[in-house]
Amino acid sequence: MTLTTGPVSAARKADGAAAVGFSGVTRSYGAVRAVDGLDLEIAAGETVALLGRNGAGKSTTINMLLGLLPPSSGTVRLFGGAPEAAVQAGKVGAMLQDGKPIPRVTVRELISFVAATYPHPMDVTEALELAGLGEFGGRRVDRLSGGQAQRVRFAVALAGNPELLVLDEPTAALDVEARRAFWRSMRAYARRGNTILFSTHYLEEADEHADRIVVIDGGRVVADGSGEAIKRRAGGALVSFDLAGAASEPLPGLPGVSAVEIRGDRALLRTADSDATVVALAELGLVRGLQVAPASLEDAFLALTSARTAPHGTAFDAADALSAKEIA
Amino acid sequence: MLDYIRLEVRRTLRDKGFVIFGIGMPVLMYVLMTNIGAGPGGAGMEWKITSMVGMAAYGALGAAVGTGTGVAEDKHLGWLRQLRITPLSPIRVVVGRGLTGSVTVLPAIAAVLLVGALVNGVRMPAWQWAALVGLLWVGTAPFTLLGLGNGYRLSSQSTGVVNTGCMLLLSILGGLWFPAELFPGWLRSLSSWTPGNRFAELGRSVTQGGAPGLGTVAVLAAWLALFGGYAVYAYRRAARTV
Repeated sequence: MTLTTGPVSAARKADGAAAVGFSGVTRSYGAVRAVDGLDLEIAAGETVALLGRNGAGKSTTINMLLGLLPPSSGTVRLFGGAPEAAVQAGKVGAMLQDGKPIPRVTVRELISFVAATYPHPMDVTEALELAGLGEFGGRRVDRLSGGQAQRVRFAVALAGNPELLVLDEPTAALDVEARRAFWRSMRAYARRGNTILFSTHYLEEADEHADRIVVIDGGRVVADGSGEAIKRRAGGALVSFDLAGAASEPLPGLPGVSAVEIRGDRALLRTADSDATVVALAELGLVRGLQVAPASLEDAFLALTSARTAPHGTAFDAADALSAKEIA
Repeated sequence: MLDYIRLEVRRTLRDKGFVIFGIGMPVLMYVLMTNIGAGPGGAGMEWKITSMVGMAAYGALGAAVGTGTGVAEDKHLGWLRQLRITPLSPIRVVVGRGLTGSVTVLPAIAAVLLVGALVNGVRMPAWQWAALVGLLWVGTAPFTLLGLGNGYRLSSQSTGVVNTGCMLLLSILGGLWFPAELFPGWLRSLSSWTPGNRFAELGRSVTQGGAPGLGTVAVLAAWLALFGGYAVYAYRRAARTV
């Protein structure tokens, strides 16, 4: 059911305790199934992006991972044990989506307090530096800007020097500059051999900053692999050209083509094999203003996740339906 | 856990609302009630002592219940969830918060008693002062639990309102503002069963040179058990969502 691609998943070892393991996990809120049969394993040292649209089940998944929410069925394991045990052992640090820093403490007081609850914390000054708060240590948390407060939450997650760092939509309130600095810090932390799981609905972030992307939709994993692998999954490339009055009827039957869209006088073909498609177009004499572009990750994402919820009526329905069939 | 208590006490003392209303208010009311409208020659020493105990109890009660307001605020901010993913165990968070409450009641008690001694000239042997502080301190436990129960069970906004309401009701009904002797008969007998009244009685008995009666301790213990049960229930319910 789950589509697993890419070398990362193939290379994952079956032995030893994975950092994170979900098996057959479901979670319902009343009649709503937020997570619906989730299987996921993350090896120690991986940096994984949990990618999905709003309401895909990302936060529910993360809350179960942290032991904040019990699953309705299935099991969640962290480092081979219950999430609560890993949390108690100080192996986990997290930046929660809805968390706001508490008022009337300074940044340093707050981070020092959190660090002291862990067995092998990071040096407080180091944690502040890594989170980009070096100069704000003495500032009251309630007198910071939104972006600075977000960095405080990052510092809270880092303070305990955890083996597993969980970040729920970590860049939501950050501007471009701060975002870049944030990812630099995250990568530096990953390089120390730590495992990182972050959720996002920004495709570029997932592609740029994770070793592996896990796409979830409707509470299940719909794709799992590198950004490249996921782009391939969605059907290779977009070929476009000027029709110049030619008939568009034969186009859907061309080799590799999975969807056709006509915009004015220009035809756009989604194809799994752009070479074969272009050769066929040449034979039909249709090579006019020809462009071949790789499918963006965004296309891939839409193709992978729109099966359940997207409104129909676009020319790319065929592709969506196809992906949906393959996924199911 | 000590670190947690230190952090929370610091946060409470930096709260201007707490300092003004939690400490300043009982002191101000004590000064007003014992110096204005008391007629020529001022109020008698008996009233100065009774009111001192009443206002110290009122301040302590407010600070104790207010602990729960802080909890509701933390819950709203997501701080309680954040604490749950630190190695600090949930039970230590709850106990730590309760102990924080017991520390933050001290400034109000100390401030009112100091004003009693320095401004109103209340004189008692040292052991009586010490026993008074000790009993008022220990006696806040039921109110801390009541506040915590509300804090865990209710939203941030309603906790503030409900806790303030509880504090005023228990203070006034308990005769902390005006002596219960001034109440009509039925209210007076009702008052003597309320935790606020019995709490102040702990202190009043000491100022009269005696030990608190068994009945007083029993009534307070019953309230302690009731509010304690409520706090545990509220925490368990909240633990599913915080």
